[in-house]
Amino acid sequence: MKAIIAVLIVFLSTGAKAQLMIQVTEGRVDAVPIAVVPFAVSGGSVPESVDQIIAANLHRSGQFRPLPPEDMLSRPARAEDVSYRDFRVLGTEYLVFGRVEALPTGAYRVSYELHDVPRGTRLISETYEPAVSQLRDVAHAISDRIYEQLTGVRGAFATRILYVTHNRGADFPFQLQYADADGARVQTVLRSREPIMSPSWSPDGKRVAYVSFEADGRPGIYIHELATMQRQLVSSFDGINGAPDWSPDGKRLALTLSRDGNPEIYMLEIASGQLTRLTNHYAIDTEPRWLPDGQSLVFTSSRGGGPQIYRLNIRDQSVRRISFEGSYNSNPAVTPDGRYLTYIHRRGNNFHVAVQDLQRQTFNIVTTTQQDESPSVAPNGSMIIYATKHGGKGVLQAVSVDGRIKVHLPSKEGEVREPSWSPFL
Amino acid sequence: MHAIATKSLFAVLLATTLAACSSKPTDDQSGDLQPGRAGSEVAPVSEQQPVQPQQSSIALTADNFHNHPSNYDGTTSSRVIYFAFDNSSVPAASFETLRAHANYLKGNSNAKVRLEGHADERGTREYNVALSERRAQSVEKFLRVQGVSAAQIEVVSYGEEKPAAYGSDEMSWAKNRRVELNYLSGRP
Repeated sequence: MKAIIAVLIVFLSTGAKAQLMIQVTEGRVDAVPIAVVPFAVSGGSVPESVDQIIAANLHRSGQFRPLPPEDMLSRPARAEDVSYRDFRVLGTEYLVFGRVEALPTGAYRVSYELHDVPRGTRLISETYEPAVSQLRDVAHAISDRIYEQLTGVRGAFATRILYVTHNRGADFPFQLQYADADGARVQTVLRSREPIMSPSWSPDGKRVAYVSFEADGRPGIYIHELATMQRQLVSSFDGINGAPDWSPDGKRLALTLSRDGNPEIYMLEIASGQLTRLTNHYAIDTEPRWLPDGQSLVFTSSRGGGPQIYRLNIRDQSVRRISFEGSYNSNPAVTPDGRYLTYIHRRGNNFHVAVQDLQRQTFNIVTTTQQDESPSVAPNGSMIIYATKHGGKGVLQAVSVDGRIKVHLPSKEGEVREPSWSPFL
Repeated sequence: MHAIATKSLFAVLLATTLAACSSKPTDDQSGDLQPGRAGSEVAPVSEQQPVQPQQSSIALTADNFHNHPSNYDGTTSSRVIYFAFDNSSVPAASFETLRAHANYLKGNSNAKVRLEGHADERGTREYNVALSERRAQSVEKFLRVQGVSAAQIEVVSYGEEKPAAYGSDEMSWAKNRRVELNYLSGRP
């Protein structure tokens, strides 16, 4: 059973440039109660609150319910300080505590422990020594460790979200940005007077591909290396150059070109520039996404009338339809294990994120928002991030594959759209 | 609901209707199969019917916006062609305007026009890019049939990325389903 836990917490990220905020609008009623005790600080001031980042991450997963610090009866910093009884009476199942020490070198020493409260046992004890710029990375790494220990699933907090922003009236209305998965540490990859579309991560997380109309309003597909900010125009044919998606081995892009007069799916060998046409149909074929096996793609095609999702075997170029609910299904994405297919499904006048179980062939609409687009799956398969409208503005939301957890990521200014969740970094 | 069988390009172009569709599914969900097909009930315009009254007493609505005479002045000053919902066929009310552009282009071989296709915001973005290309291609076909050289025409599709109106309502969507004629050189 689901329960609406409306706006439990608004987490404002601390960075001055932070643009995204996180609200959990719907969590699991059986979310696990956990206490993340404010970490003891010594040796000087610490610019990031490691414990708050951890608590917010766990909360945002929808699977944990962090105890508010003001409700804590004691605040241990070391194992010898722990009184399990203080947490048992509050129904807390797990306890996280730790210390941050500012070192004379300018670095920090972060130590933490995870305890099982009912059993009174220690599950994890670790120490990190990050530079100041790595404090948030350490907080995300600790969150990942705790999440994996308690759920058995690898955490995806130390990942990034790539997205396009639009600020009407600005000098450069279109920007390609990425941020930590919690919305902090926004970085701008590209700003443009012309549209930017369809950003996609390389599987090693070092490069991104996207469509930019910067060249005199004509579309081109660019590959952009984030560390060096070097980029390369890889596709600028007549007509559409769209929907790039990186192959699992990182060597190829699937993309849409209409250079023969009609949108078709192609495969581009990045190193050689060799182009292979994969579809040949007078209908629209677009929005290709690789399946994890690297041997097949899913894509949107109108060959049956309205848009539906099809699967394409690259070797023999055979195509078969795989979506059957309703008259409009488009923009597919696949979970990393290949089990679930997600796409945009129209019901009545509204567009929702739907999830299809490819093994059992079940179909579920998992969102209640109405103008959904651009679903992208977290690398651990836990959540789907997507774009929708809220109060007339483009915003990002995330939903669990089973629809039980919903997270709202409102932007402070302008529109945010086309999120793409990074691989594990 | 029935599709219109189309035999000639002219019929295709005329198969647009003031009545347009009354349901509100997505923009152009299946416009690719038959360019003249509308999404729902269609009242075909006969070839004999006068294409464009000079003054219209018909109120401008989201449903008739694409084919409303007030949107086209029959000269090259009109540079935006609107489209019915779920449709990529050129509206009859714009024929005179497009003929004026065709004549201008034929008489000015240095002139080059870019046909910029747009869709409304409903549906997914890359799919909308593909849909809006169909609209620009319909205008391109019209101009080519009039004898304009292919070398004078370029097609670019923007999907829903560059809306003319920013609302999420029927009238804004009607204003966004469009092809803009953007002269890159030899502007009239």
